[in-house]
Amino acid sequence: MSRRMTGLGFLTAMLAGLAVLRLLIDRDPVHGLSLAWPDASYAAFRWTAILVSIIIGCSLATSGVLLQALLRNPLASPFILGLSSGAGLGVMTAMYIGFATGNDALRSGANAGPALIGALLVLTVVYGLGRRRGLLDPLSLVLVGVVVSAICGALMMFLQRLSPEGLRSDILIWMMGRIPQSIATSHLILVGALAFLGVLIAMAMGRAMDAATLGEDEARSIGLSLGPVRLSMFVLAGALAAASVTVAGPIAFVGLIAPHAARLLIGPRHTLLVPAAALAGASLIVAADAASQALEFGAGRMPVGIFTALIGGPAFIWILKNRQTAGV
Amino acid sequence: MTSTSTEQHSGPAASLVVDHLSHSYGDIVALRQVSAIAQPGKITALLGPNAAGKSTLLRCIIGAIKPTSGRVLLDGKPTHGRSPYHLAQRMAYVPQRSTVAAAFTVREVVELGRYVLPRNHHRIELALQRMELTDLVDRPYAALSVGQQQRVTLARALAQLPNSIEDSAKAGHLILDEPVSAMDLKHVRDVVVLLRELTGQGVTIIMAMHDLTRAADMADDVWLMDEGTLIAGTACDVLTVERLQQVYGVPFEWLHGRLLTVND
Repeated sequence: MSRRMTGLGFLTAMLAGLAVLRLLIDRDPVHGLSLAWPDASYAAFRWTAILVSIIIGCSLATSGVLLQALLRNPLASPFILGLSSGAGLGVMTAMYIGFATGNDALRSGANAGPALIGALLVLTVVYGLGRRRGLLDPLSLVLVGVVVSAICGALMMFLQRLSPEGLRSDILIWMMGRIPQSIATSHLILVGALAFLGVLIAMAMGRAMDAATLGEDEARSIGLSLGPVRLSMFVLAGALAAASVTVAGPIAFVGLIAPHAARLLIGPRHTLLVPAAALAGASLIVAADAASQALEFGAGRMPVGIFTALIGGPAFIWILKNRQTAGV
Repeated sequence: MTSTSTEQHSGPAASLVVDHLSHSYGDIVALRQVSAIAQPGKITALLGPNAAGKSTLLRCIIGAIKPTSGRVLLDGKPTHGRSPYHLAQRMAYVPQRSTVAAAFTVREVVELGRYVLPRNHHRIELALQRMELTDLVDRPYAALSVGQQQRVTLARALAQLPNSIEDSAKAGHLILDEPVSAMDLKHVRDVVVLLRELTGQGVTIIMAMHDLTRAADMADDVWLMDEGTLIAGTACDVLTVERLQQVYGVPFEWLHGRLLTVND
């Protein structure tokens, strides 16, 4: 128990430290990189970016924990079900329609609607095809997710070929994921509330997720109602990932690596794994956003998804090696 | 004791009844009109060649699959369609090999047996001790040998069984699918002793297995399956060399109290 509490404390401290770092990092064309308390005019942007990072990190990590439990697969991530390509296709379609009709608002891809519609459409299709004898089936879900991803990818490529050059790079940047420094208050409250509730509900489902790690017959035999539990995991994981995609695009790796980092610190039981993963996910995105703020390559701000993958990828391999030597 | 009549025995009322059960997977018929009664507080050995229908029967009994026709009655009510929450309080299930898709320790796996039941530290400790797992409690389940894993799964089922010493009317049911197939001889013997003890507390046990001699030794009743049909009775009645030769397709003989296949 104390080891788990120490783990949670460590993650909280890490998140706080990274948030302060993100707040202080300052880069301007004259003085270059420095650490300074921001002016009031900048502070609001930075606080927004930090808040959004935390919300997105909690959402994606919780979604990852839920999907790894649902699919009984440690390689599952929120985007394995094709949700990111679905959202991407939604955004791409809206951008293309905006370009074709001269509607600049749609063309910019800033609107959250198309991403949400694309993500929800994909979730509905995957849900419809991912069942066997009325029960959501892990293998069917993964296979359908992969195929739906491929189809959405092909359609995106199709639209890309029809589009002018500028539109192509815009959609590429969107697909890498980025943390906005300003966002509509209502949008922020909505995804923030969903992330907060999502973490709480997932914690409440912790023991059910523990039981769901057993095979189907066994899970039932110890008293788990698999149908309702799998459906809840699917809906909650999908909603959290879809909500975060509407704010930041599909940010890679967070939903995959945050649960594993949390497991290393506090073990596999889900009730505490959920908040630990949420803290780890939030830390990773804040860190990646800080990196994206600090590093300048003369080509404008890099999408934050580049840094989550660059930080998360090696970290994931390190965790993998450590798990093996620990015999876990 | 015939298998289809409830009126003949005078012990406690049968709580587990298989009633004209049929099941097909598409065109493949797995169970054909199977009927049998599990004697309460007794061990029933479920025997038969591969693909005879043993696992399908067990899965129908635990309510995991809906039979094509017929039903399994637990306390007079069909198991399929009953909530897992209620079934779990009457019946524990041990598959041949339990897969756990998480890095749980031995103790954490055994604790899952109490998933819908009140926390009971004492029952967990007792189950761990009984299966000689106290030295392994903090080891990851996945790192154990298959035989050790089978002991963990049995311990989980022990922790789940209703405490029938306190309330004999609520004696549980233990459904076992080749639970000792990978255990060493000492632990197999321990499990046999344990199962005997459990029947003394009123627990009804159905156990799929392949060792005919052990079945004849330990079981009160034998259910012998062949191509989806079932013959029930005492070991002496059911396990005749003629019938076994017919079912398994090889000649058998009794030698020094052991059933052996004849090598010519």
